[in-house]
Amino acid sequence: MDSSVHLDNVVMQFGDFTAVQQMDLKIESGEFFSFLGPSGCGKTTILNMVSGFLEPTKGAVRIGGQDMRGVPANKRPTSMIFQNLALFPLMTVAENIEFGLEVRGVSKAERRKTSDRLLELVALEGSGTKKVSELSGGQKQRIAIARALAVEPQVLLLDEPLSALDLKLRQHMRTELKEIQRKTGITFIYITHDQGEALTMSDRVAVMSAGKLQQVADPISLYKQPDTAFVASFVGENNGITGKVLSYANGEAVIDAGALGQLIGKAHKPLNTGDTATLFIRPESLHLDVQRDCQIMTQLDEVNFEGSYLTLNSRTLDQRALSIQLGANQYQSDMVSGKELALSYSVVDAIVIAGEVGDV
Amino acid sequence: MFSQLKARFGAPLSVGVVALIAVWLIGMVILPQLLMVDYSFKPNLLPSEIGSDKDRYTLENYATLFGNTIHLTIFFKTIWSSVLVTFLTLFVSYPLAFYLAKVATPKQAALCLLLLLIPFWINEILRTFSWYIILAYKGPLNALLLGLGFIDRPIRFLSGDGGVLIGMVYAYILFMIFPIYNAIESLDGNQIKAARNLGAGWIRTHYRVIVPHAKPGIATGCIMTFMLAAGSYAVPALLGSPGSRWFTQIIYNWFFEGGDWNQGAAYAFLLLVICIGFIGLVMKVFKVGLGDIAR
Repeated sequence: MDSSVHLDNVVMQFGDFTAVQQMDLKIESGEFFSFLGPSGCGKTTILNMVSGFLEPTKGAVRIGGQDMRGVPANKRPTSMIFQNLALFPLMTVAENIEFGLEVRGVSKAERRKTSDRLLELVALEGSGTKKVSELSGGQKQRIAIARALAVEPQVLLLDEPLSALDLKLRQHMRTELKEIQRKTGITFIYITHDQGEALTMSDRVAVMSAGKLQQVADPISLYKQPDTAFVASFVGENNGITGKVLSYANGEAVIDAGALGQLIGKAHKPLNTGDTATLFIRPESLHLDVQRDCQIMTQLDEVNFEGSYLTLNSRTLDQRALSIQLGANQYQSDMVSGKELALSYSVVDAIVIAGEVGDV
Repeated sequence: MFSQLKARFGAPLSVGVVALIAVWLIGMVILPQLLMVDYSFKPNLLPSEIGSDKDRYTLENYATLFGNTIHLTIFFKTIWSSVLVTFLTLFVSYPLAFYLAKVATPKQAALCLLLLLIPFWINEILRTFSWYIILAYKGPLNALLLGLGFIDRPIRFLSGDGGVLIGMVYAYILFMIFPIYNAIESLDGNQIKAARNLGAGWIRTHYRVIVPHAKPGIATGCIMTFMLAAGSYAVPALLGSPGSRWFTQIIYNWFFEGGDWNQGAAYAFLLLVICIGFIGLVMKVFKVGLGDIAR
């Protein structure tokens, strides 16, 4: 069954405010697709347009090739998991799961069969007669998933459903969601501001900012080859060093970074000499030696121990903050505030992108 | 409770407040009611007979109602019509309360509330009289209906219960709207979205999700409207014809025209007891507890 979602040149405006700028995006059938962005970037608006709670100002939403214009929310083949779950508190767990089937006129026995099967899928067998208020946060989460799956949607929409859970449970639910997606084979559209969630679960991620699509790519490409300065700084930790382009040739750019001298990095897009550009280098790509292509001198501010790794926060001579990530086993007792650090990196690990860190 | 008051306001002020409440509650509510109950069990006597052997407790005043078919009919008609008023008011108020709580923008809601409130700045008698004018045989409503061609000849709105029902729905609409509005307002908007998203149409969304949540508010509104309607005097006196009398009018007549306070007290007390019993029954049927209403 085709359960692709096509956002066909959609635009969403509220009065003068454009929540979603013109966007043409096709989400493949059976894909786990995430929209990632800070709050207010328009990602929830997209979910509301797909589910039918909002009609786009321009363009159309197509689900499985069908134009959804004029189709009300209760007639669309989508099902949503809300941020606050929105389970019905006055109904039992089973009644919650069966609600969508009750609406469709499915017989009581048939409904019971489905809810039993779904309770088993989410590993909560025998909880059907419980009240919603008797469940823990993680259990409520799973009931919300079961309720959404009961109507056999073509597309499951998830609006930051894990944000209220504690860390361990969140990590566990990530695996479970992925597992459920694999078992059911339906399209998942996941909305989050948490890049960890987006990167671990998704087949593809769309990064959004201020209603605009910044980049659509698989998690690895997003991390390794960000298109814009926004994506480079929003997805994962990154150090940005802004300067002027000195030269660009053969996919490599040299920038003049003031007191830091000339720094070289890969550039996937051509750059004009003299323009402002930023060299991005991941904390794990900075090394505590001088054997690589480019060197930077910094002074250590503080050392943060984070379990399996260390983060060294340091400062260059012209007061730019740079963080370095090391394996925990690389800790040395002379790593104290004020220590001079000679760092180096390989050109292949650095990326030069036009613009500054704060650019959208 | 007193210790909390004392901790917050100090002893003298707390004693003063409690004493004032006690004076009000005992002197102005409980004692007069007890006096009325006492009246209702005594015969209507001349001043000279008070204290004589005729002055003893009796159930005679209560028996009067059950011996008088006209009064008894009016009694039950009052209860039935009050039920009708309650349902009509609910029917009108629920959509409005839902609109105010979940559909309207803050600006629209404020405007709508203002429009609802302004008429209530006018005294009840005047408001009721304006309905008398609107509903009159040669009044504007009949003129409008005639002009639009819906009717061939004017309708006598004021000859039966129609006028009384309209007047009462109008008089008590706020007592119904506000509790329901409060209840619906507290419903998480995502609950409605979730129901829609799972395929529910509007009717099912209301009766499965919104109404169950708003039930305590609906119960509160219905109880207030019912009690006010059953105890109403001005509306039936002004808009009701002689053919549609309200039980309160009979009570009034006993007090002020018959001069028989004892008989009037017995009638009033019966109305109160039946109304409370009726409410208790309805609450039981709809599974609403007192705790839900106080919420």
